[in-house]
Amino acid sequence: MKFSKKDLIKLYTNLVRARTFDMLCTRLLAEGKFVSFYHEGAWGDAAGVGTATFLRKDDILYPHHRAHGFPHMIGKGVDPKYYLAEHCGRATGCCSGVGTVHALFEEYGILGQSAILGAQFTVSVGWGLAAKKNGTGQVVVASFGDGTLARGTWHEGANVAVLWKLPIVYVLENNGIAQYVSLEKAYPLKDMASLAAGYGMPAVVVDGQDIVAVAEAVGEAVKRARQGKGPTFVECKTIRVTSHGYGSPHMVDGEQRDMNMVEELKKREPLSMYEKNLLKQGIITKEDIEEIAKAAKEEAAAAEKFAMESPIQEDASILDQYLYAE
Amino acid sequence: MRLLQYNEAINEALSEELARDEKVFLLGEGVGVSSLATTRGLVQKFGPDRVIDTPIAEAAITGCAIGAATMGYRPIADLMYSDFLYTAADDVLIRAPQWRFLHGGRQSLPIVFIAGSGGYRKVGPEHSHSPHSIMLHHPGLKVVVPSTPYDAKGLLKASIRDDNPVFYMFHKALIGMKEDIPEEEYIIPLGQAKVRREGTDVTVVAASYMNYLAIQAADKLKGEISVEVIDPRTLEPLDLDTILKSVIKTGRVVIVDEDTERCGFAGELMAQIMEHAFDELDAPIKRVCAANYPIPSGFLEKFVLPQPAQILAAIREVVK
Repeated sequence: MKFSKKDLIKLYTNLVRARTFDMLCTRLLAEGKFVSFYHEGAWGDAAGVGTATFLRKDDILYPHHRAHGFPHMIGKGVDPKYYLAEHCGRATGCCSGVGTVHALFEEYGILGQSAILGAQFTVSVGWGLAAKKNGTGQVVVASFGDGTLARGTWHEGANVAVLWKLPIVYVLENNGIAQYVSLEKAYPLKDMASLAAGYGMPAVVVDGQDIVAVAEAVGEAVKRARQGKGPTFVECKTIRVTSHGYGSPHMVDGEQRDMNMVEELKKREPLSMYEKNLLKQGIITKEDIEEIAKAAKEEAAAAEKFAMESPIQEDASILDQYLYAE
Repeated sequence: MRLLQYNEAINEALSEELARDEKVFLLGEGVGVSSLATTRGLVQKFGPDRVIDTPIAEAAITGCAIGAATMGYRPIADLMYSDFLYTAADDVLIRAPQWRFLHGGRQSLPIVFIAGSGGYRKVGPEHSHSPHSIMLHHPGLKVVVPSTPYDAKGLLKASIRDDNPVFYMFHKALIGMKEDIPEEEYIIPLGQAKVRREGTDVTVVAASYMNYLAIQAADKLKGEISVEVIDPRTLEPLDLDTILKSVIKTGRVVIVDEDTERCGFAGELMAQIMEHAFDELDAPIKRVCAANYPIPSGFLEKFVLPQPAQILAAIREVVK
């Protein structure tokens, strides 16, 4: 797949924006302005942005929980301020301050999210079936991590998705650690993409730190799904340089993480790698970079202001209203 | 009017709703054959895209229902036995009931989970559950428990047209019950209890197969005790008003519930009656429930599940 100069700059811009929001979210959690969790995603954010940036607006996307799906949603075109306000328990949030870490942007194909890992494998069967019934070429993209792929729901969902030739793309962001447990303790083989072969599902493994490689691989898989050829599995090898969630122990397999190894991982920081590449190819200039960074900072500041100035959701009358549809 | 069996009435409701609304579809393991014949013949009528046979994959079946519902479809997810809901509890009890709520009330999830429940068929502890109390513990899920063919049809049609997740639990021991069913369409709204027998001495509240047993008890006691039998028909929403009206009239209550006594619906209903009508009671409320054991297979079943003699004894005791 060939990307235009405009496409490549769009990927870069979205990655800068996602990174800026990750830093904002981490700070707001530290300042006590988030009401529940934040699971940082910096350095592992290229996969989400690369996956989502070139999807159709009506394609359905299940965002990964890492970085709370900001990279995915920004890629999809969602204005992140409503999701930020949601994290702050505000009435203007995308779930009116009831969901906090849940996202809903129906017009952008983000039809809801569960905080229980593995839900994407079963719920996306329904999205895929509905998309197929609609017959308008919609594709479902389900993002998840290596930890999630250990759930049994994967088998039930993937099996049916292949059987029914559903238009689903499974995007694994494999950062090698499931919360506090290393991949070595969770899966016997190196590539989890090998799981797809059992269903006769095509799979591809890409460098998740290479945003263009991710966008290309997902793009091919999406094309295949749109043509009615069924699901594809894309494994993006990525990294985690932070703890599981902000404030949680930076440990794995019962031990402190080896910080020398973490420093080594940091050399694969995707934003600066991509930036260097774009500069070398003459696609962007230093001035462009400054401008994109400035715009991202302004966007984040405006989103923070919007969230903090929005009313806190404390209207108990909505409890009845939201429980049942009339 | 035609005489229809309980499972035929269910089948007819499904058939009518599949024909009426093309957004309705049915999926589940073996729905093309259907072990209790509730869905038999539908795949021939509506085709394999509307009546979908699945692998044994309850999580995929129920998760599929959630996904499709958020895209404007009205799925009916057949779980065969209500005991199997536990294999899909994440979707049935957590995701479906809470989805609309936690996403700020912006969506509706018109889903029917349908399964056969209950014991009295000696099929053992993993195929005899009546798990309605578990469902009621999860706000956002409606619970429908029909006790007659007429109700089975009318309540299922209402469940399919409801914009919320509904667990429709028919009772396996009622499958052979026959009743006159009108030719013309009818719907029974959720949340309306039915007074099955009018009486003045004691109120018996019982749903599903327990209602059948309660009516038999009431008829047996005719001339001795005047028993009013109330069938809640749906446990969520619960028509507490009809129950309380009866309690005010009789002052005495027996609750019959097939679920395990401990933490069951009977205990919950006792509490609600006491909260709202304590001063109307002339005697402590009695309950007849499954004893606090797993339901044994075979001939031991009768020592755990509520028996007609226990219902008679409870009624006699409460009117003493």
